[in-house]
Amino acid sequence: MSSKAKPFIPLEEGKRRELMPSLKEIRLASIRRPVSQAIGTLLIVGFLIFIVGPLVVLLTWAFAKEWFYPALIPQAWTWSWWRIVLTTSHLGHSILLSFIFAPVVTTLSALICLPAAYAFARYSFPGRRWFMVSLFAANAFPKMGLYMSMAGLLFAFNLMGTFWGVVIVQLISTLVIMTWIPSAAFRSVPRELEEAARDVGARPWQVFWRVTLPIAWPGILVGLILGFLASLDEAQGTFLVGIPNYITMPVQMYTLVGHYPQQAAAVFAIILTLPSVILLLLVRRYIVGGTLAAGFRIR
Amino acid sequence: MRQKPWVGLLMSSGPMIVMIVFIGLPIVLAVAYSLGDVLGLNRAIAAVAQHQVIVKHGLTLKVYRDLWANAGIRADIGATLWVTVVAVAVVLVIAYAVSLYLRFNHNRLAKVLSAIYLIPLFIPVVIASYALVTFWNAGGFVDALMAHLGSQGFPGLSYTLTGVVIAQVWVNLPFAILMLSSGLTAVPDSLIEASRDVGSTFLRSIVRIVLPLNILPTVIVLTFTGIGILGSFTIPYLMGPTAPQMLGVATTTYYQAFNEPQQAQALAVLTFVLAAGIGVIYVWANVQANRREGIS
Repeated sequence: MSSKAKPFIPLEEGKRRELMPSLKEIRLASIRRPVSQAIGTLLIVGFLIFIVGPLVVLLTWAFAKEWFYPALIPQAWTWSWWRIVLTTSHLGHSILLSFIFAPVVTTLSALICLPAAYAFARYSFPGRRWFMVSLFAANAFPKMGLYMSMAGLLFAFNLMGTFWGVVIVQLISTLVIMTWIPSAAFRSVPRELEEAARDVGARPWQVFWRVTLPIAWPGILVGLILGFLASLDEAQGTFLVGIPNYITMPVQMYTLVGHYPQQAAAVFAIILTLPSVILLLLVRRYIVGGTLAAGFRIR
Repeated sequence: MRQKPWVGLLMSSGPMIVMIVFIGLPIVLAVAYSLGDVLGLNRAIAAVAQHQVIVKHGLTLKVYRDLWANAGIRADIGATLWVTVVAVAVVLVIAYAVSLYLRFNHNRLAKVLSAIYLIPLFIPVVIASYALVTFWNAGGFVDALMAHLGSQGFPGLSYTLTGVVIAQVWVNLPFAILMLSSGLTAVPDSLIEASRDVGSTFLRSIVRIVLPLNILPTVIVLTFTGIGILGSFTIPYLMGPTAPQMLGVATTTYYQAFNEPQQAQALAVLTFVLAAGIGVIYVWANVQANRREGIS
């Protein structure tokens, strides 16, 4: 029950007794409460193991020399898999390649999408909402089907197996993120602030640069980082278009899973995950603060 | 809203052009190809394909009819729908439990919880699937843990549809909790307290007051998670059984292993139609919410 005082309303005797907890009920509640709390705690601990467990095990594999069932920790430890993965040249090459593609794709995507994000937030034009929805609808088409048909198109443009072919294929999986989330951020900038700046004589670009952009920045940053990660993690399209010249990290990961020792895959997985973890930690508070959630509302 | 609609149109044309050329056009080509059209830009893909259905004039549904006659494909469709429905339901239940707990508790456990639930968002899907396969596999960590606790014969959930559901839930939880949490934050404390004051139990005030105010976030979670799972490839590819497959995997198998791109495209179109059905709910919920808030 809430601890706040309630307004006093006179009740007839029977009703009053009905509302007052009996001694038995109080005793029951005093037992029930710790029990339900214990169950709650247990469920949460279970949830935490469900989420973290697989990652802890993966991390452990990267340092395992021997780990046989049913031991819960490896029998012997080693660092050697890190050296093996980092010095195997085609693996190192994939890492490098991934970090060339992702910035290029992110930059290009930002140049294309951010003006649109601003327009969706600030201009009223025919088909505005329809555009936003169709952007999302287009993404609901299964990627594999899309890449199959795109292959024909890329052949026609002579882009199959080329750098820019891969860029385009990765670009299309960033479009929604890079438009929707920054657009919500631009929309959240109070118009009165922009108008006030204009009233004291700021030019339009000054208003944008000094007022709009700083306030919308968290949302734009979240968009940029999620776009970067979408590009970094894209495997299916990159495989179809880029092979055999451009084998990026996630594409490599598919081969590693089946064909290399567990430890090599684990080490490679950690290297592939590190940038995501670092980048997302940077924007964690914005994401939790609702910046991401705001992007999924069509207005 | 500012005037000058043509400025807005011009600024938003970037992603629209990219979308129309590299997503819209391929979708049209895919649909046409699956209906028997092998001309134009479909010529390249059709040149090397096997078991094609070609029509001289008009279009045909023969590809779809043949696929439907295939019991394997029907099992794949069934598996896809089963995984999608079960995973979405589980995600919704767990996400609601977690976000309600976070909304009404501020103890140390809640702090740990709010730091941890976001983690899967940080992990590339390939890595997540791989980690989950190792964790849930027969001979994996859960198996070992069970053996230590005295329960032998854990079957291993990797390479089963249950395993696929587990992985889908793992991957989709952060987004769901984020959406629901940010929706729940918007429900004012005073409203909940008021309902408690007039004698509602906690559960009742949640069902009667909190949930109705949180419909849009719930629909967003439902639809985005549903569409994501429906078309997913990586998770069922790494975690799922050889048969039945989810449609995302079946599409790839038909294209790469069987060299039947036309059938593969038909499966992709089928997935898209199912996804579009879910998408309609999303758009409808947004329209309703905008109407309630007086945005035309």
